[in-house]
Amino acid sequence: MNTHRLLCRIGDGFGKVFLFLVLFFLYVPIVVLALMSFNESMHYQLPFEFSTRWYVDLASNERLLTASFNSVMLALVNTVIATILGTMAAFAFARYRFRGRTILQLLLFPPITIPWLIIGVSMLVLFFWTGVGRGLHAMLLGHVALSLPYVIIVVGARLASFGPELEEAAASLGATPLQSFLRVSVPVMLPGMVAASLFAFAVSFDQFVISYFLAAPGISVLPVEIFSAIRKGFTPEVNAISTIMIVVSMSVFLIFARISKFGGER
Amino acid sequence: MRKIGLLTTAALALVLTAGQASADGEVRVLNWQGYGTDEAWAIEAFEAATGYEVVHDYFNSEQEMLTKLRTSPGAYDVVLINSAFTGQAAEEGLIQLIDPQVISNFGDLSPGLRDAVEFTYEGDLYGVAWTWGLTSIAYDMTEVEPGNTIEILWDPQYAGRVGLRDDSVENVSFAALATGQDMNNPHDLDAIREKLRALKPQIRTYWASEDEWNKEFTADSFDVSTYWSGSASRSAKAFDMPVGFMIPKEGAIAWLDGLSVATDAPNLDGAQKFIDYMVSPEHYVRWDTEVGAPASANNEAINQLPEDFFNRAVMGDPEATANLQFMAPLTDEQRETFLEIWTETKAYFAE
Amino acid sequence: MRVETRRRWAITGLTGPAYLWLTVTIFLPLSAMLYFSFQKKGPFGKHTSEFTLKHYEAFFTKDYLQALTWRSLEMGFHTTALCLIIGFPAAYILAKRIKGRWREALFLLVVLPFWSNALVRIFSWTIVLRPDGFLDRAVHLVLPGIPPIDLTDSYAAIIIGLTHSYLPYMILTCYLSLQAIDDSLIEAARSMGARAHTILWRIILPLSIPGLAAGTVLIFVPVIGSFFEPKLLGGTQGAMIGTVIEEQFTVVSNWPLGGALSFILLAIILLILGVSSPFLKQHMRTS
Repeated sequence: MNTHRLLCRIGDGFGKVFLFLVLFFLYVPIVVLALMSFNESMHYQLPFEFSTRWYVDLASNERLLTASFNSVMLALVNTVIATILGTMAAFAFARYRFRGRTILQLLLFPPITIPWLIIGVSMLVLFFWTGVGRGLHAMLLGHVALSLPYVIIVVGARLASFGPELEEAAASLGATPLQSFLRVSVPVMLPGMVAASLFAFAVSFDQFVISYFLAAPGISVLPVEIFSAIRKGFTPEVNAISTIMIVVSMSVFLIFARISKFGGER
Repeated sequence: MRKIGLLTTAALALVLTAGQASADGEVRVLNWQGYGTDEAWAIEAFEAATGYEVVHDYFNSEQEMLTKLRTSPGAYDVVLINSAFTGQAAEEGLIQLIDPQVISNFGDLSPGLRDAVEFTYEGDLYGVAWTWGLTSIAYDMTEVEPGNTIEILWDPQYAGRVGLRDDSVENVSFAALATGQDMNNPHDLDAIREKLRALKPQIRTYWASEDEWNKEFTADSFDVSTYWSGSASRSAKAFDMPVGFMIPKEGAIAWLDGLSVATDAPNLDGAQKFIDYMVSPEHYVRWDTEVGAPASANNEAINQLPEDFFNRAVMGDPEATANLQFMAPLTDEQRETFLEIWTETKAYFAE
Repeated sequence: MRVETRRRWAITGLTGPAYLWLTVTIFLPLSAMLYFSFQKKGPFGKHTSEFTLKHYEAFFTKDYLQALTWRSLEMGFHTTALCLIIGFPAAYILAKRIKGRWREALFLLVVLPFWSNALVRIFSWTIVLRPDGFLDRAVHLVLPGIPPIDLTDSYAAIIIGLTHSYLPYMILTCYLSLQAIDDSLIEAARSMGARAHTILWRIILPLSIPGLAAGTVLIFVPVIGSFFEPKLLGGTQGAMIGTVIEEQFTVVSNWPLGGALSFILLAIILLILGVSSPFLKQHMRTS
């Protein structure tokens, strides 16, 4: 028993080092990104020279600030809609066997497989023909559609790990389907839903191809601005706004995680 | 659940209303980002003079510009179009006729550029000549003795030190010039294919934008690279980079940009005034002296530049620019063929 | 009968809204694109409609298109494999070896990179990997005197960038599956004398297949069609089928060819998923 414990300890030690290395890998570019927002050189030259000039510049860059605001709003609305609609569909797939189910599931692949560019151009043309036009509303339509497959797949993976036993038990105790859905299924799905909403948020917040084609003149979102900035000159201002964004979302996310007990204490 | 619903509705309403900005008193411009029209001082001056507000939208490729015009009628007033595309845009009904009378600076424009046949469609004027420039070869002055031939790109001395723009028409044109062909209508495509494939040991990387070029150059990625004349002078002037610019004896690619008025432009008066301001010497001189610009189509503007300026001394010299070939409109089939040749070459480079 | 009707309503009510949304914004536009992929010309200009198969034929007659598709598939395999090798153990340690507050905090750290813009992240990698960049300097601090390290414009750079972008997907989906495995099951197996690798192969892996599969799909599928990462990080090594497709829309207006190539790519992906899904299903059943 002692040797087993010892082995476990060593294993845990390795595990923690490994996890640390993974986190290190994940954060290298992000730390570099943040560091460079405080670097004087416009061409990202080393050695590092501390400066806050890019933040000063940013404060007067209305375009970038408005675009950031639009991005956050769009991502939030997208997250709510996509998570609700996607969870409903994932639940149906997990709990019901019906004709056409496989086809419906297969239909989730085109939105993630086909390069976004093609979907974006096709949307632009269809929205033009049907009079939907361009703008934030068109972007919302597109973002939700792109987020849905992620939500359905992630919530579905969570549901696949649980059988329908809990709901059957609830039904046998006389719960109506709606009651059993809200009281039993939703709590089971919740970690999956939270994870899915993270995906949905990220898909929208990061989405530039679709947004690029659907943005109306004068109304744009952050990734579109960043994409354009690559052409004009990728100044550390872009790093500055990204740094602010990640700090803000980190705080929002931490509060959100505290409330929802995401990460789980099972 | 109900709270979430309310929040969603509120946010949705916000998102939807934000989509409808007013068009009154606005001039909507479609251009490459950072290409003269969106300089803060220029917008300020124009707004002060006319009371119109300037709003920009950008494109990253000519096809995108066309797609945006096609799918958003009535969304734009002024659009920048390379003269090789003006005819196509006019044919598709994307841009409208321009009356030269309303452009007060029209008379000062260099006749050779102003009256270029590319700006007309069925004999009518659809674009106002604005700027022109060269795509040629830039080099690191501290490392390279440039000579005067395009063969420098194939020179083994610079193996692994050459940069190219990832652009099919441009690279096919360079290969056409190097093999002694008409870049606007090359006949021996196999020779071009071979010439491009021979670049494999030479090429270090592709660049996509001026900014990327500057970053690659500062990171010492290449010694010799294709580049744009206006950008080369900007790199040298604004960023103090040791960039030299060479016009080979085989010729270089010349391009001409014009400003056009979109069909159904909501603010026709604003569009005309904006174009007039853009081709004026006051805008150009400040643009070139403070920021760095391609050559102006306005002779008056060039004459107001300091004498040693690249755009006056080199680009203004008729002899140096005598054997330039301007990019001509290409057919869809030609573009597709050029792209195929270039893609095949890239696949070979990646092997 | 009433039960059957109610069941049908439930299915329609649950899947209806999501699929209606997808139909309007994805399937209708894609159907239009599918139509164009069989046309000689795209939707603009003065052309009459004319049916042709030539854009699909192009894929089978042009070697370089096949070569680039193969490159993209390789890129997909390599990225997915790396994400699996790194992501699954990380998710396991997180879900099973770390407890309480720490687990929550670390998990948040894993998903947080999602909130930084992908373009900016990729761009940061170019600063890290270039000569005299962060990696070069860091390595030379430890091992002075070795030749400069330059990973920019290489296939390795593409894989590093893509793995970085997609790794959180794998950790997230595996974590969700692993978390659902009851610890007492593992305890029971251990008390009955099962060895560590037996527990891993017979209990943990089979039970986490839904998460592994979801992660694999979420990574493999979009990586194959990616074009921006290869372009920014790959230099001359960045030619992929995704970039070819992109250029059909941005460089020329050859929508039919771009559309045809995308649908071929989609078919290849569905084929791969189709071949591998019975294997996954079998694994789940034997568990």
